[in-house]
Amino acid sequence: MITTLDLLEENETGTIQQINDEDLALQMLTMGFILGEVIKIERIAPLKDPILITSGVNYICIRKADAKNISILKNTL
Amino acid sequence: MVGNPNTGKSTLFNTLTGLNQHVGNFPGVTVDKKVGAFNIKNKKYTIIDLPGTYGLNPCSEDERITQEYIQKSKKDIIVIVADSTNLKRNLLLCTQIIDLKKPVILVLNMMDLLQKNNQEIKINQLSSLLGIPVVPINARIGKGIDDLKYAISNFSYQNNSFVDQHHSSNVIDETMLRYNKINHIVNECLIKKGEDKLSILTKKIDNILTHKIYGYLIFLSLLFIIFQAIFSWSSYPMELIENAFLLLSDFLTQTLPAGMLTDLIVDGVIAGLGGIGVFVPQIAMLFAFITILEDTGYMARVSFLMDRILRQFGLNGKSIIPLLSSTACAVPSIMGARTINNYKERLITIMVAPLISCSARIPVYTLLLALIVPKESVFGAFNLQGLIMMALYLLGFIAALMAALVMKWIIKSKEKSSFMLEMPIYRLPRWNNVTLSIYNKVRLFLFDAGKIIVAISVILWVLSSYGPDNSFQLIEEKYTSEHFDTKYNNDEIQTFIAAEKLEASYAGIIGKTIEPLIKPIGFDWKIGIALVTSFAAREVFVSTMATLYSVGDEDNTKSIKQKMLLAENPKTGKPLYTLATTLSLLIFYAFAMQCMTTLVIVHKETKSLKWPFIQLIYMSSLAYFSSLVVYHIFS
Repeated sequence: MITTLDLLEENETGTIQQINDEDLALQMLTMGFILGEVIKIERIAPLKDPILITSGVNYICIRKADAKNISILKNTL
Repeated sequence: MVGNPNTGKSTLFNTLTGLNQHVGNFPGVTVDKKVGAFNIKNKKYTIIDLPGTYGLNPCSEDERITQEYIQKSKKDIIVIVADSTNLKRNLLLCTQIIDLKKPVILVLNMMDLLQKNNQEIKINQLSSLLGIPVVPINARIGKGIDDLKYAISNFSYQNNSFVDQHHSSNVIDETMLRYNKINHIVNECLIKKGEDKLSILTKKIDNILTHKIYGYLIFLSLLFIIFQAIFSWSSYPMELIENAFLLLSDFLTQTLPAGMLTDLIVDGVIAGLGGIGVFVPQIAMLFAFITILEDTGYMARVSFLMDRILRQFGLNGKSIIPLLSSTACAVPSIMGARTINNYKERLITIMVAPLISCSARIPVYTLLLALIVPKESVFGAFNLQGLIMMALYLLGFIAALMAALVMKWIIKSKEKSSFMLEMPIYRLPRWNNVTLSIYNKVRLFLFDAGKIIVAISVILWVLSSYGPDNSFQLIEEKYTSEHFDTKYNNDEIQTFIAAEKLEASYAGIIGKTIEPLIKPIGFDWKIGIALVTSFAAREVFVSTMATLYSVGDEDNTKSIKQKMLLAENPKTGKPLYTLATTLSLLIFYAFAMQCMTTLVIVHKETKSLKWPFIQLIYMSSLAYFSSLVVYHIFS
């Protein structure tokens, strides 16, 4: 199921399909978040924003506004 | 030297050069271009520690600095420091620099962590696939440093390229192409024998530290403990230092021949230095705590927890580091704001950071609090002065947030706001680092600030020991003339003379000139003198008070606090430092912009005269009007 990263719940995973914002895409790439790789929501901040995400050993924090631009193929159990 | 943030670059820099500076576990703590030197077989090499960056497509001011430097460099060997536990991402920057046709050495740091994760890197294979020298090290314990030195001294450039950039149409495709090739290399060179234990541990800790409720509770408790500790643990060493200075000035008064020079040394230099030396324990502890919080990786989590809240005030999660480290000193914190990508958020952070009480205010607060707050514990354990001190810090934070809110509405910007931050794995603080940080900061405080303090103390002593024309002579004559009532003994007469002389001195004249302006907020001309002298640096307030109240105290047996408690209002005969005056003074020092260094740094960081000027005006007005309100409420 294709969705966007901001709609995933804690501990849900998916594959990065596309990043709509070019600057964001480049920034994500250089921080180790690569198209086609698995991404996981580790934690959603107490006030629902921002979120902690991992891909491999990369572990970063981004805002939901940015997560909205990241298309995800959600993994279902 | 370049590399991703959190790769231990600065630790390696310290190990190589022995030139010590701040190292943090937080992305982008190395904000300055740091230069050091080291020898290999009697040949001197210069090394520059560039701000951490993930790639050569800059997203922040810090990364821009690094990118520009690398592109301009001609013959320099570029030492790339990589985290060996995150080879793939770290190799991206490495291959970008290889393709700039720069001479490159790849240093794989944190080999100990790689081992703990049950992984292994085939160094020789990696070296031949990339076509560059690769050196595995562990900067924390200095392992592999000799190999690195050998690689540097025997370096010869081989022309090679990683990807052919002519084929890639845009930078994203190019980066993907790089990652594809890097993936092949990593698959060949990295042997995984087990699971990634360190990441698992870090996430377990994060379950607690970023928890919906515990997360904030832990953060607040930590702040509370820090302020309590600064107050209760430091009281004993502080008393010790205070007594040592009293003994010293007493000893000097006894042994040195009485005269001008002795007065200058005892009342000017020693009084000034003593007033400041007392606060070394508190400042050392504050810097120790800040360094530990950064070094362990906890600060990044605080940013994560605070982003949503700080956004309401026109700030960014990343602002929490400058704001928190402002409790130590606004200068490095304003430089640290460079990691904030958005110009408006960065500017607001810079503008409000000095409102947060820094370590230079500690001496002022401590002295003033001692005048009005009894030294006792409440609820059995908490130090009352420490609690009020914490309230003052809280006041600084609230004022900073309110000022930020106002600026959020005034400053216009169309730039998109974002917040992306790496969460480094949790590590024990590098105790070496903490000690070095304390040492450097205390040295800076005692010697750099000390120079200003001694100079101002001496000037002040001269200004308060001399007056225009023959005014001093007239005072002496007045008291020795036969018309004078002889019901006072000699000591009392000496005190009257000293008091009148101070009032007639140049310092007294300066204080009296500004008295009409500061009278509405409850200050007299003596405080006026202190306001003038502490414009350059707040902590000078204490030494000024020490000098002002030492002049005329012949035997130098009382501490400044005792002297200020005895000070009277000459008209009413009541104590001068009433609750209203002292509170007004506290508020004034909490908000006023009294730090030349900060203004200079703000000028450099904003590249304008406008912003430091606005900062000076808004903070001074805020201080004046808040003091006015406080004074009228309590008097």
